[in-house]
Amino acid sequence: MANHKDIVYGIYDDETDLLRAVKVAHDKHIDIMDVYTPFPVHGLDPLLGLSESRLHIAGFVYGMIGTLTAFLGMTWIFTKDWPIIFGGKPHWSFPAFVPIMFELTVLFASIGMVVTFYVINGLGPGVVNPTIDLRLTDDKFCIAFDTHETSKGDAEAFLRSTGASEVHSKTI
Amino acid sequence: MTNFEISGRQRILLMVGIVIGLICLAATYVTAPEAHHARFWSNYLHNSVFFTGIAVMAAFFLSASITAWAGWYVLFKRVWEAFGMFIIFGLLLMLVLALGNYLHLHHLYHWADETLLDPSNPEKFDPILAGKAPFLNKTWYLGGTIVFLGLTYFVMSRIRSLSLREDEGNDENFSSHRKMRVWAAAYLPIAGFGSAAMIWQWIMSIDSHWYSTMFAWYTGASWFVSMLALTILTVMYLKSRGYLTTVNDEHIHDLGKLLFAFSIFWTYLWFSQYMLIWYANVGEETIYFRERFDNYAVLFYGNIAINFVAPFLILMRNDTKRKWGSVGFVAALVFFGHWLDFFLMIKPGVAHAFHAGDHGGHAHEFMSGFTLPGFLEIGTMIGFLCFFLYVAYATMARARMEPTHDPYLQESLHHHV
Repeated sequence: MANHKDIVYGIYDDETDLLRAVKVAHDKHIDIMDVYTPFPVHGLDPLLGLSESRLHIAGFVYGMIGTLTAFLGMTWIFTKDWPIIFGGKPHWSFPAFVPIMFELTVLFASIGMVVTFYVINGLGPGVVNPTIDLRLTDDKFCIAFDTHETSKGDAEAFLRSTGASEVHSKTI
Repeated sequence: MTNFEISGRQRILLMVGIVIGLICLAATYVTAPEAHHARFWSNYLHNSVFFTGIAVMAAFFLSASITAWAGWYVLFKRVWEAFGMFIIFGLLLMLVLALGNYLHLHHLYHWADETLLDPSNPEKFDPILAGKAPFLNKTWYLGGTIVFLGLTYFVMSRIRSLSLREDEGNDENFSSHRKMRVWAAAYLPIAGFGSAAMIWQWIMSIDSHWYSTMFAWYTGASWFVSMLALTILTVMYLKSRGYLTTVNDEHIHDLGKLLFAFSIFWTYLWFSQYMLIWYANVGEETIYFRERFDNYAVLFYGNIAINFVAPFLILMRNDTKRKWGSVGFVAALVFFGHWLDFFLMIKPGVAHAFHAGDHGGHAHEFMSGFTLPGFLEIGTMIGFLCFFLYVAYATMARARMEPTHDPYLQESLHHHV
């Protein structure tokens, strides 16, 4: 990767310590680069000022495409392409289409959202993941600062004063 | 404010509503004497079953939440307790119908005519009803009503009094809550099997020859959604009056999610029942929907629009489940929608018996009160609703609105979705 970042990060042992620290940073207007947690921490998103994900809007659109694909596809197949009489029903038998419309809605929405999520986040096979600390996937919490935005001294002072158990620097 | 107080204005409003309901019931009885006052009795059954069902579902969901060790609902659990305590009146309302079978007050149920069960009279003998007679009979109807609603009321009053005893605060081992948990868990199978059996008796047996294995679930889901809608509206009302100050958007959000999810669940059951009958195309089964297609087209499709399309599209977004305007609107809409759903379950069968009287066999013409709810039906509904709310508010007024010693109180106070 061309643009490396020099970061300072602190490890917290508990999510309440982390939340308290983020609140302090929020009040003092210190720019946090990112926060890493092993599980979703309640109340963290609004503190970090993260806006609501728009992924579900994409999901709705994919779902509607799925519904229409099933509906129009079956309409074409059973009235134009290959009309067959099933159980004495008319060719265009809407109730029989409903389960397939439902299935394709779910299929298109779920696959579409997964693909969108991967593309937006630049994930895919062979992507190198710059891991800050392996323990962040287990039981530790981390606040990281970019030294281009927050000076190294300020960041370290902040991390120590808010109860980080370890403070490190790294280039990622 | 701790205890709920019914204000003078509110008491007058509820009383006016109840009086409107009584006037409408009386007017229906007097103006439509045809077929043993079929319009009056079907309205009575419709509203009694609807509001009793809401009370049963409140008791059921409270029990399920206690059994599941859920905590989020604790702040407004008095609302469900109050709804559940209506069951004693539901029992009285349904007893009138059960005894009416014996006293020939009404002829809502075709199977109650015992001359149809006599094989020595081939003119009138009905082999299908004779086959169902061990279940569809007056004794079962009366006994089932008493046992099911009686047990529900008994368990509900146990849970209620344990919940109040808990608040006295001298309960260090949570012994009240432990006992409550036993009652709640014991009630779940009673609610499951009992509600199904009584839905068959109370509602499905109006179309005596017809049956559907999906019907009890579908009707139960309809009750459940109505209960959620009324809960949301009641919580909002109580908050607007300055009670339940600790209930916040997070709780409304979860109630909104339940309303959204169970509207879809209801649709799933409705469609499953419809599609299987449509696919199999057996005359004995399709007659149920033929009747509703031909004479109830507005309600039949309106039912899906109100109870599925509207809540599905409006409540899909995250924020519309939190905003009072959108959640309250949908709750009011589906409450009325499911009342119409029950209209659609009950009235066609009753109207059928009504028409069996005149031997012409002509097609149904429009009949207010049978093919569409008329003003008298709406008025009756208002009366029953005000009666239900009056009982619920009077129950709430007898205890502290917000529990103080529930073991899950903190979880509910810090609820975050």
